[in-house]
Amino acid sequence: MLYALEARHAPVVSLWVWYHVGGRNEVPGTTGMSHFLEHMLFKGTTKHPKGDLDRLLARYGAQWNAFTSEDVTCYFETVPKARYKTALELESDRMRNALISLEETEAERTVIVSEREGYENDPSFLLGEELQSIAFSRHTYGQGVIGSKDEIKLMTRDGLYAHYRRFYAPNNAYVVVTGDDEPERLIEEAAAAFGPLDPSSDLGEPPKAPEPDQLGERRVTIHRAGGTLPIVMLAFRAPRATDPRAAAISALSVALAGTSAGSDGASGRSSRLHRALIETGLAADVDASFQLMKDPYLFFVDATLRPGIKHADVERVLLEELAKLSADLLAEDEFARVRRQLLASTAFNTDTITWRAYRCGQLLSTGAATSISEWYEKLAVVTREQIRDAASGLFVERSRNVGWFVPEDDVA
Amino acid sequence: MNKVHRTALANGLRIATVPIAGLRSTSVLLAVEAGQWFEPAGRPGIARLAAQTMLRGTKRRDAAAWATALDALGAVARLDVGAHAAVFSAQCLGDDLGELLGLIAEAVRTPALADAEIEFVRGQTLAHLEKDERDTRAVSDRAWRGLVYPTGHPFHAPAIGDAAVVRSATADEIRAYHKSAIAPDGAVLIVAGATTADAVKKAADRAFGDWPKRAGARDASYPPVALAATKRRVEVVPDKTQSDVIIGWPGLPRTDPRFTAVRVTNMVYAADTFASRAGNVIRDQLGLAYYVFSGIGASCGQSPWIVRMGVNPQNVHRAIEVALDELRKITVGQIADDDLALAKDKLVGELDVALESPAGVASMVLEAEMFELGEDHFERYPRELRAVTKEQVIDTARAFLPPDRYALAVAGPALPEALV
Repeated sequence: MLYALEARHAPVVSLWVWYHVGGRNEVPGTTGMSHFLEHMLFKGTTKHPKGDLDRLLARYGAQWNAFTSEDVTCYFETVPKARYKTALELESDRMRNALISLEETEAERTVIVSEREGYENDPSFLLGEELQSIAFSRHTYGQGVIGSKDEIKLMTRDGLYAHYRRFYAPNNAYVVVTGDDEPERLIEEAAAAFGPLDPSSDLGEPPKAPEPDQLGERRVTIHRAGGTLPIVMLAFRAPRATDPRAAAISALSVALAGTSAGSDGASGRSSRLHRALIETGLAADVDASFQLMKDPYLFFVDATLRPGIKHADVERVLLEELAKLSADLLAEDEFARVRRQLLASTAFNTDTITWRAYRCGQLLSTGAATSISEWYEKLAVVTREQIRDAASGLFVERSRNVGWFVPEDDVA
Repeated sequence: MNKVHRTALANGLRIATVPIAGLRSTSVLLAVEAGQWFEPAGRPGIARLAAQTMLRGTKRRDAAAWATALDALGAVARLDVGAHAAVFSAQCLGDDLGELLGLIAEAVRTPALADAEIEFVRGQTLAHLEKDERDTRAVSDRAWRGLVYPTGHPFHAPAIGDAAVVRSATADEIRAYHKSAIAPDGAVLIVAGATTADAVKKAADRAFGDWPKRAGARDASYPPVALAATKRRVEVVPDKTQSDVIIGWPGLPRTDPRFTAVRVTNMVYAADTFASRAGNVIRDQLGLAYYVFSGIGASCGQSPWIVRMGVNPQNVHRAIEVALDELRKITVGQIADDDLALAKDKLVGELDVALESPAGVASMVLEAEMFELGEDHFERYPRELRAVTKEQVIDTARAFLPPDRYALAVAGPALPEALV
């Protein structure tokens, strides 16, 4: 599928290719395969050996990268308008013709292990990964994205290549382009680049492993010396992006923690969690997040505690705040602020060409909306009642997962 | 680059506006000469304590009321202390610019700096400092600065400061710092996006027009810093899997005419994990690290010029050797013509791509205005980048990045072998 948006304020074009493959398409023993494959797509094709086109893109000052999530693997290039064709050439070529050689697979394996080890240095990553794993008993969302270190070490070149040939094809991708040209023309050029490519004949059905209802709270505690401040993290089962409640849940996360993370920031300080935990000296940092996902996922709430504060005290306050939102309507003025922040943040993100294309692709690939303006309209009509009802549906004990990070003394 | 409209208020505040058609939002940067360079000597952390307290209530409204007013606009904002300036950075919808500048002016010019709010900020800062004690990036950064800059130098500690200073700072000290450092002299206001030059001038006049100039001159000069020999420090941080490595040197002021050659040298060497020599070899050829990049700060002093890598402890020794080896090649002139051309092309190309966002535009204009690089800077700069020669890159590397005299800091698990 091809989708284009006009953005005339700068002479650049941003091209994004979204593949419907991610952590959710993996089985135990191959966790991290989609992410590993993402790295291998930078290792050249027959026509363009490693370093060929990417060096060319660097020469144009391009911003380009890739990421893998539970749902998708995504590649993008933001380039001067005159270089749009080079970006198309890179993406259409590597959609079907990546080499993925044995030698490059071995060389990249240690890079990916290094990436994982960097994450492991962060207590929040360790806790989030454990919490995600206990929140799902059947669905592959519980496996995360980067994979276990042992499975990264065991990944085979042939396995990666088979994964590639199966999922990297025009019939499993969204191409979204935003930039300084007429949408028809942007699409026309993209169609010329991707149109001739063979489809995959092996896509099969999307993974189906519905997660059964959770029947009670689950808890996990991580004891490590690698951090000094305690963390409390809550993860509640949340609906998929296509659910009618998705816009209200997005507003709910803003009511809880604003739109920009980080206690150093000046904004978001009128939010519920900031006032209940940071202003009272219980926490150094708070956050709440809801991601648009293909299948039901999680609504996260977390707090990094001030030194000497007890986990149980912060968990209690967090739950009290969630209960208030579940029981009572936001005050009119508070609701007006939440709505304003939500809608303004949409403008902020989409005023950057790269992020306009990203946002559009995210909405399309998850089915949340058919355009940025449709999603904006959904956010704009959210009511106080819907926010309260979304909270009361989400924040229940039986679908709650609780994680504590407990710092330990030096064990080195 | 869109047209930059420049003006100034009577009190010295310089204003640069870049209207960008087709946008709904506006990016705002207010940079005041109140960064680390201007902190009281030997008191690292005072500038950040003052800046964070400025966000906690004004003479007109308390912390909650000011925060509520900001959120009511839907704006995002923060105030960070950098090496040179304290920068208020914000984004709002175009129509809200006047109100946003009013809120920023309140916080900057008339903060309450109340005792209770100073204590709150002190508690938050000490919590962050405690968190940093087991953060390998923060530990390596602090260790590296300690090796290079003497005690009392503004870059000896990171902007968050030293715990002892944060604990001992008095309310009077913070108020005095605000009075002496936060002034329109040398400050610049940059606005880019959905606005006009007239609208910005009017709103800035209302918000900052009667902001008094600083009383008396400030002396912020420090003796030059140089590394006489290689220095190394390894900090063991328990329960980690990866080591953070910094190799670096003291840099040079942004106003130095050699800075353009510095940017090109930096790109040839290690600025980009993929396009530069060090990243190409360390990550792409040898698989030793996920990230390798270098950077040099823009300030009026010798900001750090550092290479950072995240490496498995088993590979730390080799990654350092390879990083220095790639540097040695540059100092002896082993620079492929195409590597130099790539570095220059990339730096020039990035100037165009940065135009995609109002924040990117504002950031470029801020550097030009802050360091008074000239009204024709954006016209000259690409030409100057392209004019940098191989000899200039060699000279720059030899002068500022000597591979036999560097400071090395490693933070993470215990290393399998000593670094020599």
